[in-house]
Amino acid sequence: MRVLVIDPDPARAALVAEGLEGVHPLEVRRSERFDEREAAQFAPDVVVIAAESPDRDTLESLREASQSNPRPVVMFVDRSEPGLAEQAVRAGVAAYVVDGLAPARVRPILDVAMSRFALTQQLRGDLAKVKADLESRKTVERAKGLLMKERGLDEDGAYRLLRKLAMDRGKPIGAVAADLLAFAGVLKGDAS
Amino acid sequence: MSGLADLKLGFIPLTDCAPLVVAKALGFFAEEGLDVSLNREASWATIRDKVAVGALDGAHMLAPMALAAAAGASGGLTLDVGPSLIAPMALNRNGSAITVSRSLADTMRAADPQAMAGPPVSARALAKVIAERAGQGAPPLTFAVVFPYSMHNYELRYWLAQAGVDPDKDVRLVVTPPPRMVEQMRAGEIDGFCVGAPWNAVAEREGLGEIVITASAFWPGGPDKVFGVTEAWAHHYPDELRAALRALIRASAWSDDPANRDELVVLLARPEHVGVSPKVLERALADEIVFHRDGAGVPRREHALWFLSQMVRWGQVAADTDIHAVADAVYRPDMFRAAALSAGPLLDPAQAFADGPGELAPLFEGPAFDSTRAGPYATAFSIGRARV
Repeated sequence: MRVLVIDPDPARAALVAEGLEGVHPLEVRRSERFDEREAAQFAPDVVVIAAESPDRDTLESLREASQSNPRPVVMFVDRSEPGLAEQAVRAGVAAYVVDGLAPARVRPILDVAMSRFALTQQLRGDLAKVKADLESRKTVERAKGLLMKERGLDEDGAYRLLRKLAMDRGKPIGAVAADLLAFAGVLKGDAS
Repeated sequence: MSGLADLKLGFIPLTDCAPLVVAKALGFFAEEGLDVSLNREASWATIRDKVAVGALDGAHMLAPMALAAAAGASGGLTLDVGPSLIAPMALNRNGSAITVSRSLADTMRAADPQAMAGPPVSARALAKVIAERAGQGAPPLTFAVVFPYSMHNYELRYWLAQAGVDPDKDVRLVVTPPPRMVEQMRAGEIDGFCVGAPWNAVAEREGLGEIVITASAFWPGGPDKVFGVTEAWAHHYPDELRAALRALIRASAWSDDPANRDELVVLLARPEHVGVSPKVLERALADEIVFHRDGAGVPRREHALWFLSQMVRWGQVAADTDIHAVADAVYRPDMFRAAALSAGPLLDPAQAFADGPGELAPLFEGPAFDSTRAGPYATAFSIGRARV
């Protein structure tokens, strides 16, 4: 079976393709964009496409053109598994299959695609959190520096003061540090 | 707390997403007690699917897309259980245009200067170019539209066919997402397209293409996008729907007002909305697109019937489809009316409804559409694929 993965996000496409290689027998090809000529050469049985790809509309139109110019790709409508299509839409994956392909053969492909999409989303979320943590740590360092200079505190004292402010206000220490820096900016007159 | 559910609404980056963007940015949704998040989507198929499964509550939609599912069109639905889509409001009239590449425009002028004295121009010059190319054994010209079920597809097909060009035999028709139309024309992959604003103006501004006919010349006051929801959602959330419609109607009236034009252009130009230069947005807003006045927001059943007649004409749905029943099920002017009336003094009913159905203007080089005879009209064209 041949599977074509279309995803504007190359990292995620690689992850999906890698996952699909475990489902056999499979030949997987991936691309950031849907190219009709390339697709015709490859003749996929299934096209897995990210919902955020603008190429979905092109893919859908191929069914319309099938009267005069038969093409293999039609959309995945699986009446045997209610809820699957909904699940896929929510996961951000759409699948188009050749007419007549047994739904049971598509299921594992869609499952892999959905799980890899979820994994990517989680990884991206983790990365964003790490970045935010790092940013917050830098802000705390700068706020500490400011307190040491303005209040004549040592590093430990500056940190304890920040922590107390955070506890009193019920806010994260990074947020308190950011507020402090912003107010210091205002007092120095560089506000905007 | 207003007690109303939060809403997720989808849109495609096009000038006519304005009512949604304005209702959010100017706080019209908030004044109705609605907390709305706007989601920019990359394809009409995704808009349709997300609304169908409830990942979006409502969206900016191609009017024929909402009708296709109910009419039993093959490509109308992705899902096994097809929730019916309804259109309780029209978002705009006009806004699309047909553009051809500069070199094709020059060839057309050489072939028939008289037919090219426009815009708007007839496709007669194009018909001559196509005949010449066929004689030379050259490959067919390629034209792009945005979706099989779209005003753009029917407009281009109608325009071609009026000049004797069969859109299924004499040219190659493809589907291309709006933001890619211009780059594909630049790459020489497509020779012409029919797309919504601002992409025709972008092609002209970049010196790549020439607009040959705008929608307002093709069919003055002709339909375009709608606001679509599922029937089930409308049934479960009547208060939210009415509040959302009121906010959208106010936003449409605001968007029509020339005094707000500069602000509207800046808002739409932002990267999270349409993301193009303000200059190219101005063009269709100046004298093409109507959002509200003259009853533009009313989803008129005559418009639904014209779309359905074209689906029959081009073989997308069977000729024996009960198109009058489909139009009444999907287009819901009653909901628009109820919402507009409940807005009280915020709206001028004379503008919101332009009372009375109003005469339909004739289509380009063709007769006016008589909606009482939509069935015979659909099958009477000399070029068509009606499945009778």
